[in-house]
Amino acid sequence: MLKTNFLGIELENPIVVAAGPWNRDGASIRASLDSGAGAVVTESIVSDTVMDVRPRIAADEMGAQNIRLYSDIQIEGWEREMRIAKAKGGVVIASISGHSPSELAYMASKMEKFGADGIELSVSNPAVESLEVVASDANTIYDMTKAVVSAVKIPVTVKLSQNTTNIAKVAKAVKAANGSGVTAINTVRGILGVDIESASPALFTYGGISGEYIRPLGLASVATIAQTVDIPICGVGGVSTGRHAVEYMMLGANVVQVGTSVITEGYGIIRKIVQELEVWAQNHNLKNISDIRGAALKNLKSFDEMKYEPSISTVNSTLCTENCSKCIDLCIYKAVTRTSGKISIDKGKCTGCGLCVSICPANKLKLGW
Amino acid sequence: MNIKQIAKKAGVSVATVSRVLNHPENVAPATRERIQKIIDQEEYTPNWFARGLNFNKTRTIGLVTPHTVGSCYMEIAGGVEEVARQKGYITFMCNMERDPDIEKEYINHLITRKVDGIILMYSSLSDEYMSWIREEKIPAVLIGENELRPDWDSVKADCRDGAVKMTAHLVECGHETIGMLCGNAPENEANSILQGYKNVMKASGKKLSSKNVYDVENSIEGGYIGAKRMISEFTSPGSDVPGDQLDAIFASSDEIAYGAMDAVKDCGLCIPDDIAIVGFGNYKMSNLMEPKLTTVEEPYRLMGIYGARILFDLIEEKEKNGEESTPKHIILKTKMRIRKSCGHKERIGEMF
Repeated sequence: MLKTNFLGIELENPIVVAAGPWNRDGASIRASLDSGAGAVVTESIVSDTVMDVRPRIAADEMGAQNIRLYSDIQIEGWEREMRIAKAKGGVVIASISGHSPSELAYMASKMEKFGADGIELSVSNPAVESLEVVASDANTIYDMTKAVVSAVKIPVTVKLSQNTTNIAKVAKAVKAANGSGVTAINTVRGILGVDIESASPALFTYGGISGEYIRPLGLASVATIAQTVDIPICGVGGVSTGRHAVEYMMLGANVVQVGTSVITEGYGIIRKIVQELEVWAQNHNLKNISDIRGAALKNLKSFDEMKYEPSISTVNSTLCTENCSKCIDLCIYKAVTRTSGKISIDKGKCTGCGLCVSICPANKLKLGW
Repeated sequence: MNIKQIAKKAGVSVATVSRVLNHPENVAPATRERIQKIIDQEEYTPNWFARGLNFNKTRTIGLVTPHTVGSCYMEIAGGVEEVARQKGYITFMCNMERDPDIEKEYINHLITRKVDGIILMYSSLSDEYMSWIREEKIPAVLIGENELRPDWDSVKADCRDGAVKMTAHLVECGHETIGMLCGNAPENEANSILQGYKNVMKASGKKLSSKNVYDVENSIEGGYIGAKRMISEFTSPGSDVPGDQLDAIFASSDEIAYGAMDAVKDCGLCIPDDIAIVGFGNYKMSNLMEPKLTTVEEPYRLMGIYGARILFDLIEEKEKNGEESTPKHIILKTKMRIRKSCGHKERIGEMF
């Protein structure tokens, strides 16, 4: 039921563990695979390892910021690590990061030789590299993709960045260069916060933000790409439940990646997401998980297509005993009232903005007319 | 003790011990260390000459460098050696003192010593010698800007692109008159930098006469003399302020830039307010100069690493008597290192 084909590779399920230090060597990739992942992407491999700065990861309840997380194993060492990673089978995609087409092509051909099932180009790091993120330039991405695609026989996907004004244009460039797919999105440039006693930013420089913070950005990017170009998409950004995976797929993703939640919840989160997805698919009598791909796209409309219906919040003397007054407190138009435990709407004041519907924890309100 | 006894003592097969000796990268680190410890304890050394005859290889490579001074050459060499060491090879370092005759002499030596491969750094070797290396079937790789040789594997940095970006940055900082101190060596690299500079100067409509470009020796001294001369050329007649018509100097190497900084200070001028100075290369000292030198980082170490990687690919292909692949040309990117000496105003430029 969860079996799916991505980039021509058969996956047991569509949950892929994203590039990151949780996949830093053969043994940790094994751990990801043993936790039920459909595929695993290695930590990004670079031409020459660099000294790690400390600290380099900060996290809060919403997500994390990292500054430069690259593999500390030289490419030569990955021959051994790939053998360990693939000792009991499993799909391993090599993430490679570099600055020129010929450099990337070289690394890709090495990783192919070492047994990688696919290549993910990581050229959208929002920290360190340059003020303009490399992956914001469609021409550069075209050249890089083309060089790598001509160097290997395995599928090549490109990890795209939200730090661009037109992600669809970059995705088109990948397709034009015969890339097999895209991954969206990489972390987004940010600063997690400032310690206001010492006036110190969370980490010493700009970094990449991941987790809950960026899921809405990831969802929009995946939808944008899906509405632009016919190319397999791997959705990534803030996935920590089966529901999140379904959301990404309904907006056009073929598979999804899980990253930050492996840091915050451990490898066990991978199996949990797979199981939640399985239960959901069973409850919805799905034969094939890929059937839901893009299901929400037809409900994604332009302003032109939206009808101007006179809908308002339809609650009328509904009993609500929740110890909560969000709908009353937050209503911008002061249209919600509660008397003797019953919620009512002033039809003259309500403008149908929908805020109370989206925030009600008890799902008591809805729009209608 | 011989290899069989080492294997017995370690409780592994002879093949595994042999792998530790010949392809250590293919043995799990824990096993490798354990066997290596026994090899060390027993002071077992394989007979390298016998091995040379056995495998028809010497596990040596030759690295021909233009000069021993100049930290960039040593950084490249460091990258080569790192890969070579991992492969269990030693590197013969041959310093040609920028003399083509010495370079030829060394090629001669390396070929007669049966090295398994040769890396030529910023080579000026003639076609005749290049074809000799090919006739001897010795794999070879060129590092740095060399003569155009599409049929040889090569690694270089895109210096022209780096110079374009740096010149554009100086223009963006508001500098009108920008001079270039162009080093005499390595020649091809300096030419690429000069081309990049000229292209941007012309495209942005800046004055470009013979006064703008001085050929200097690629050294601190060369930079000092060149900058002094340039400053006096760009001084208005009767002016009290030396170099009052000059806004910025672009040096084709960081060493030239150090000399130029010294000259500007000796003239009683302030960097970057009176004259801005930028370099090329990003040597370690550049971040310690006062003011910190804005420069173009060349990935020297990486050039060495890739040179060696490609060389060992060629050596391994040859061992397998495999099909000869088409020559690889790796072009690496340079990176702007914006610091204080260029006179830019936006701190964000220094952040990435």
